[in-house]
Amino acid sequence: MTNFTLSKVDLNAFIKSLSKNFDVYAPVKDHVVDGGSVRFKVVSDAKVICLSENAYYPLKELFFRKKEVLFKYSEKGLEVPVKKVKSKAILGIRRCDLHSLANQDRIYMREVPDPYYIAEREKTLLIGYHCKKAEEYCFCGSIDLQGNADIMLYELPGNKFLVEVHSDNALRLVESLKKIFKKTDIVIDAESRKIEGSNRLQKKDVHSFYDNPGWQEGIDKCLSCAACNFHCPSCYCFNIHDEANVHNMKEGERIRTWAGCQLKSFTRVAGEHIFRDTRKDRFRHRIYHQLQYFKERYGTTLCSGCGRCIRFCPTKIDFIDILNRM
Amino acid sequence: MAKKKTTIESKFLPKKVTILSYQRESADSFTIKVDFAVKHEPGQFVQVTLPGIGEAPISICSYSDKFMELNIREVGDLTKNLAKLKVGDKLFIRGPYGKGYPMKDLKGNNVIIIGGGCGVAPLRGIIDYIEQNRADYGDVKLFLGFRTPGDILFQEKIKGWGKNFDVRISVDKLPADSCFAGPVGFVTNMVKNEQIDNKNKVVFVCGPPIMMDVVIKILKEKWFNDDQIFISAERLMHCALGLCGHCMIHGKYTCLDGPVFRWDELKECKND
Amino acid sequence: MAKKDKKPVVGFYGLTGCAGCLLSFIFNENEIVSLLGMVDLAAFPFIKGKQGDKEFDIIFLEGVVCSNDDLDMLKKLRAKTKILVSLGACASTGCIPAYRNFIDEAKYLPLMYEKVHRIKDKDPKPIDAYVHVDFTIPGCPPNREEVKSFIKQLILGKTPRLYNDPVCVECKLNGNHCLLDEGKICLGPITRGGCDSVCTNGRFECWGCRGPCPDANYEAFIALIKDKGHNSRTLKERMQSFAGLKLPDELQIEDAPDYVG
Repeated sequence: MTNFTLSKVDLNAFIKSLSKNFDVYAPVKDHVVDGGSVRFKVVSDAKVICLSENAYYPLKELFFRKKEVLFKYSEKGLEVPVKKVKSKAILGIRRCDLHSLANQDRIYMREVPDPYYIAEREKTLLIGYHCKKAEEYCFCGSIDLQGNADIMLYELPGNKFLVEVHSDNALRLVESLKKIFKKTDIVIDAESRKIEGSNRLQKKDVHSFYDNPGWQEGIDKCLSCAACNFHCPSCYCFNIHDEANVHNMKEGERIRTWAGCQLKSFTRVAGEHIFRDTRKDRFRHRIYHQLQYFKERYGTTLCSGCGRCIRFCPTKIDFIDILNRM
Repeated sequence: MAKKKTTIESKFLPKKVTILSYQRESADSFTIKVDFAVKHEPGQFVQVTLPGIGEAPISICSYSDKFMELNIREVGDLTKNLAKLKVGDKLFIRGPYGKGYPMKDLKGNNVIIIGGGCGVAPLRGIIDYIEQNRADYGDVKLFLGFRTPGDILFQEKIKGWGKNFDVRISVDKLPADSCFAGPVGFVTNMVKNEQIDNKNKVVFVCGPPIMMDVVIKILKEKWFNDDQIFISAERLMHCALGLCGHCMIHGKYTCLDGPVFRWDELKECKND
Repeated sequence: MAKKDKKPVVGFYGLTGCAGCLLSFIFNENEIVSLLGMVDLAAFPFIKGKQGDKEFDIIFLEGVVCSNDDLDMLKKLRAKTKILVSLGACASTGCIPAYRNFIDEAKYLPLMYEKVHRIKDKDPKPIDAYVHVDFTIPGCPPNREEVKSFIKQLILGKTPRLYNDPVCVECKLNGNHCLLDEGKICLGPITRGGCDSVCTNGRFECWGCRGPCPDANYEAFIALIKDKGHNSRTLKERMQSFAGLKLPDELQIEDAPDYVG
């Protein structure tokens, strides 16, 4: 497909135009409410957008909701609520988060088509952003990244983006905005698609490490707070519970919420038996799910190499270090 | 971007069923028969819902596509509330889920069934299956263990099984006023003391984890191969669809790849 | 499910405390009428008489035991009810009143009101130090949702369960920025959640009012806080302020000799 250029000055016009049909989300840095962290928020002005840092919380919460009503029950029966969702355009998604989103799509759109997820996801326009340099804990270069955006933005000299278009809808959109998207012959070569300094993980096949004594190293620091689970853009586990309506106890909702495998409650069965009782067991399970189990089943690693589970771990347990030492 | 709009049904939505019969089995367990008519394999399970209380996996203890029987032990919120229901009451079910016992692949074998306590429930489905396909299997031996004579499940059924199969029952403890005449001790002792070889045999084991561990050890001493032994695993389960992650054992979803596992699939990682 | 004709007889009582926990029931403004419809409310300070001879199904008891009068009342209430619920931090962990256990008497005696000498009777303790407690609703004050949910679950025939995960879980789900990462002493990782992380939602660090999380990793947490350059005495005071009596006995927070208020 043809490539385009977009001057950063015109980003605002692009957002304004997108806003007509979409809720436009982009990474925003806020010191007052978010402690200086970057979050995906609805924006109406390009000024607030921060592309220089990856988002504190991942994108998945826009599709795989933290709390989803699976159905309402009453004496009349069960009813799945109809979701009215405004289409989303999300700008500034990094390659790692696109990989995670592709994994979530795989699970919730193809493996077990999930009407709740699909309703949120199906009309979404993804606008990716190629970050040039790895942050301290990133290791996406060690991961075979999958997943594509509809539009991909690359930094060009001269305060410009190179715009790659990957879907027909996106092409129609870009071509309809001739004033800001200019056709170009520039192409991104393989070298420029790499992200500098992101090859931290040397051992990609964890298969033989299951009984390695190295797992204990660093795990003593684990607080079992599940920050790694909730910051992870890929984790897709959940809990289900019923919530009765206090005004009429015969009515209520069945609710799905995010779950964290680092918590003891994750494997607790009747009789108070906990299958993965030690912190080591739980930690190793997470890494194995991320790097091995998912790959065995679906062909790609669940992990995207975004490094959030290390960066936002209160005690900064670096599982890459742990694996590399094994 | 935009995909063709189709209505996708929620896999979480269960179907309403009616209780056709209710049989108390012991002080803390009972069997209900419901009008949930689906094809299934012995050893599969369903997700049972009482709105407001919640949902839990229950193994199917019958083998029929006209109705379904569920043996339920009162251990949690859902099962305790199910116990309060009566014939004609409604509940919700979705399923069947999981891989059951691969009975078709095991045709021509002699069958040994070893069950402990409520673990006898899924095994009952195998017996129903064999009764309906008697010519496909050789000798059938049952070793069933219960805590006390009062805990013996399916007493009427067991009388019938005795006519066709070699049925042994033991109890762990014998109260003073009991008239139970069988052996006292763990079911594992019965298996240990029995002269059995591994020729043309498959073994189905279900019971508390510790009992299954001991049984497998005994079977290994009797030179059974790992691929002759089938066990049923228990894990916390929320979705039964291979999504929620709670039931995962070393990358295997108990709800998709189990609950019945051939021992060689699980032996390396049963505690993970 | 409870039979329609027989609602559980419920009483709310308080020992020594601020009565704030009792309000966590009242604070369900929009649901209070429905909640009162589910139960037979037989006792509530200032609202419904004490009805001394009545038998209860559930008693919610707030406050700490710090006098002989408290203990007498606690024993009487325990004898009168099938289910005793410790409501709030004082009844569950001892809370701020129990901080007195960690201070020298000479330091706090001059601070007392002159005429209220009965509070000297006993060292303040949570109610489970004296009687069997069936359920605990911790928090200073408890989350009003918890009190509501507790009653709902009992009415539905479910066993109410204490939230066992740390505060961090709800804090993350609420999308907060980690206060530990901002260098604050936030007790979230070692504190039992269920509060909907109300403090950290307002960017105020967790002080552990709901008592220790059963899976708390104290060693790692203490090392982390010291690593961030905090004084171990400050950390010890913080950890003791709400849940001091419920911390493991062998826990070493600071090496210095006993701190005197």
